[in-house]
Amino acid sequence: MGNNTYIRGQKELIEEVHDTGLCTGCGACVNLCPYYATSMDKTVVKDVCDRAAGRCYAFCPRTPTDLESIRKQLFDPQDLTPELGAVKGFYLTRASNPEIRAIAQHGGTVTTLMSLALTEGIIDTALLAEGGGATLPRGVAVSDASEVPKLAKSKFIAAPMVEAFNLAAQSAAQKIGIVATPCQTLALAKMKMKPFPKNDNQIGKLHLTIGLFCGWVLSWRSFKNLLHQKVHQRSVVGLDIPPSKYKTMQVDTDSGLVEIPLDEVEACVREACKFCTDVTAEFSDISVGSARLPDGWEVAKGWNQVIVRTAAGEALMQLAKDRQVLEFRDVPDGNLEKLKQASVKKKKTALDNLACKSGDRDDLLYLDCRDPVFQTFDW
Amino acid sequence: MADISNKIEGVADLLLGSEAIGRGALEGGVNVVASYPGNPSTEITEAIRQVAEKMNIYVEWSINEKVAVETAAAASFAGLRGLSAMKQNGLNVALDFVSGISTSGSKGGLVLVVCDDPSGITSTSEQDSRPLARSLDFPLLEPGTFQEAKDMTTFGFELSEKIGRMVLLRSATRLQHARGRTVLGALPQEKRKAHFDTERQFVAFPSLPKHIEAREKLSQAKALCKDSVFNFYEGPENPELLIIVCGSCYLYSLDAMNLLDLWDRVGILKIGTVWPLPDELIKKHMASNQKILVLEEVEPFLEGNLKELAVEWASEFPVPTFYGRRTGPLAATGELNPDIIIQALTEILSIKYEARPPEYDRQAKEMVDRLVPPRSLALCAGCPHRASYWAIKNAEVLDTRDGFVTGDIGCYSFGLFPSGYSIMKTEQAMGSGPGVGYGFGKLGQFDMKQPVVAVVGDGTFYHGALPALVTAVNNQSNLTLVVLDNGATAMTGFQPHPGTGTDTFGHPAKPVLIEDICKSLGVRVDIVDPYNSEEATQKVLDFMNDEKQGPRVLIMRQQCALQMARSGKLYDVWVDQSKCVGEDCGCNRYCSRAFKCPGIMWDAEAQKAKIDEAICVGCGVCAQVCRHDAILLKPLKAEKGKDK
Repeated sequence: MGNNTYIRGQKELIEEVHDTGLCTGCGACVNLCPYYATSMDKTVVKDVCDRAAGRCYAFCPRTPTDLESIRKQLFDPQDLTPELGAVKGFYLTRASNPEIRAIAQHGGTVTTLMSLALTEGIIDTALLAEGGGATLPRGVAVSDASEVPKLAKSKFIAAPMVEAFNLAAQSAAQKIGIVATPCQTLALAKMKMKPFPKNDNQIGKLHLTIGLFCGWVLSWRSFKNLLHQKVHQRSVVGLDIPPSKYKTMQVDTDSGLVEIPLDEVEACVREACKFCTDVTAEFSDISVGSARLPDGWEVAKGWNQVIVRTAAGEALMQLAKDRQVLEFRDVPDGNLEKLKQASVKKKKTALDNLACKSGDRDDLLYLDCRDPVFQTFDW
Repeated sequence: MADISNKIEGVADLLLGSEAIGRGALEGGVNVVASYPGNPSTEITEAIRQVAEKMNIYVEWSINEKVAVETAAAASFAGLRGLSAMKQNGLNVALDFVSGISTSGSKGGLVLVVCDDPSGITSTSEQDSRPLARSLDFPLLEPGTFQEAKDMTTFGFELSEKIGRMVLLRSATRLQHARGRTVLGALPQEKRKAHFDTERQFVAFPSLPKHIEAREKLSQAKALCKDSVFNFYEGPENPELLIIVCGSCYLYSLDAMNLLDLWDRVGILKIGTVWPLPDELIKKHMASNQKILVLEEVEPFLEGNLKELAVEWASEFPVPTFYGRRTGPLAATGELNPDIIIQALTEILSIKYEARPPEYDRQAKEMVDRLVPPRSLALCAGCPHRASYWAIKNAEVLDTRDGFVTGDIGCYSFGLFPSGYSIMKTEQAMGSGPGVGYGFGKLGQFDMKQPVVAVVGDGTFYHGALPALVTAVNNQSNLTLVVLDNGATAMTGFQPHPGTGTDTFGHPAKPVLIEDICKSLGVRVDIVDPYNSEEATQKVLDFMNDEKQGPRVLIMRQQCALQMARSGKLYDVWVDQSKCVGEDCGCNRYCSRAFKCPGIMWDAEAQKAKIDEAICVGCGVCAQVCRHDAILLKPLKAEKGKDK
């Protein structure tokens, strides 16, 4: 392992990631230098840089990546599972505070954990996504726990959170917590590997990564047009996708609920998401997503499924329990298994798509076909 | 420039070709001079402008070349003498009127000076103006010396008046910009008064009779030039080779003849009345020469016409062997010089001539490659156009729809090159940025999704952009027009334009402001200072994303950096090298490599950036470009500066 990874520069980043449609817009290359920016949901190259090797290439989650080395370095080997990465614990939780639940996407777990981390001084700066729907989301830094709930809710369009980290790392912030999508947590994990030991982007300031379950995100320009077409001038209050059997996206507007057939929404999915093997944000301290319950969606949507992956994540969950800011309920039999199946399905699809793109099943572009995880299932 | 009115008759002086033409106009009693600036023609009008008030001549820098010739023509129609000067590109702008006056005729002496630019050194073409004389039946004079530049101008007025037609005088870069011996003539004492004879009509219709009349006038011109002093032969009675030459190539051929010592073997027939040709003189020399080398700048115009005559005379004497730009050994394009002519002569005459050992050229090339850093054409340090292009480039990148810039002619044409971020994707003629941009803006029905930004200079806005803007309003073309307003016709030497509020002499004039024109058209218009980088970028982005149909105009206004250099820096600028990241990942010399202002240098010893104080005009934009706060500013003009 490892011999497929190398560090190159902007030219190769453009050729291998931007031009191929692999760019996730995570912002890992932005705010390191003046050559990149995020605009209109895209990572753009503002100017040509001729460095042979750069942090932009090294941190990008879609340049060749040795996932196995990262797993070994960041997680307890005993916790590693091929389907979901490290699993120290698996929970069903929701915010104890009903006000948070009322404004949250589902159970309000992410909001609660971030507020707690700020209140308890585990972090001094929380990086969260602001905006969403038809407006462009962006990463914002918050240091007051009372600000966190204002930024609740899923965005469906990815805010470039790693760009926000790169900026915060250069600020006075010392202990940073971030809420990120799977591709973004991978970028942060690649930073933790310190490919440029003397120019490490102050990754040591990152104290907490809360990853979000993510099947895909939408491309802003096409989704904006779809929303414009479907909801006209009404203003969007929230978006949600109930379990897949409903095959619909629910758009909550100021004058009632509008349903958009899911296949129309999926036509707006960002190209890069087809090549992502990670549905549960495996490179975070804690991963949070929507829940599935035998009671049905109306109940389940008030809860979250949580995977705790690291000791830091475990400590924060314990604190949440001790401070009684989260409520826990028993995880029904089979929930973890269902999540594993969903995760493997995503991995297989992504690997197929990568092999299809390269035209060679041994060439998975940014991934290594010899990765032991990929050996554990047929694809 | 010299005061061309202050010279004494009969005295020899060293005049620029431009000044010689200006002096010739004074000796010809010119009353009205209307021109549009453009290298290499500008100094003719400038030389006359400087003496205009004391000599009661009306001089103006016109809004464009067509209006310039029309202005000079009005003087002619009123019985005065008029002159208009322009470069070859400018003649194209004026051409519709020029074509009209070729058949409508004129009254007072009317001379159109066209200055061609062989090799297109400061032009977008090396177009040869002379074929137009033939196609539009104008007499054409082409001076070979500085003396002729003056004398032909004076003669041009006389010829024009005698035949009632405008006369073309063709000059070219080297003659315009070199100095040579010129013996001065007398300045006329006659004071003409303007009066239009209402019994007469100057009209181009009906076409056919008017065309026939124009041909008759041309025949008159030919008769009048039959024994012209501008056509002459120098050399032995029976030369081995006859050079037939016109224009600035005449002096080159003298150099070549002297260096090769060929005066007993080669003769020179110098032609000054290039259209119509002096047939009889040519026939006499062609009949007795088997080899003819034709020397002229750019097109084989003379060569082709001579060959035509040779074929007509084929029953009387054999068609000679021709050498020239069509036949070779001369290149078909590019400017000539004495070396090229020496080379041609040595080939034709099988002479061995070595100006210097071949080793010299090899060594010189090696030394140049080693010692001279490669440099591209670049905008000046602190040029507001760079700041504007930086903002437009950033806006286009941030817009993500693969937008592009259509542009045209001016200092801002350097947007073609890396120093202007190669931002400009089309560039043809004055005003064609807005014109072509207008066209792109109408391609929506063919699924054109890329936003187009047209750029135009302030001078060019008045010169050639207005029809495109008006039609963009009328036809609702989706166009962002950026006016790069540096407050002058800067490239040609700060001539005023209708927006500057001054006339040709610097006196106050009623300004016609770009923003007022746009407002009157109902166009969204805004003004931004390109030196405020972020604001300018956001403004361009906002204009590009204006979802309302129709054009919108953003004026990026900041005075030319050359004016800034004269009036004083805005800021003291320096680099705090302790903060400069240099070539490390995170910068990689962003200020010099990406922003590319020549005022920023690389301190190789410190491996950091530094400011070239000698050329920095203190615009302060680089301080906004640096992400590490390493470029520092101290405001020098309190009312304008802002501390960073």
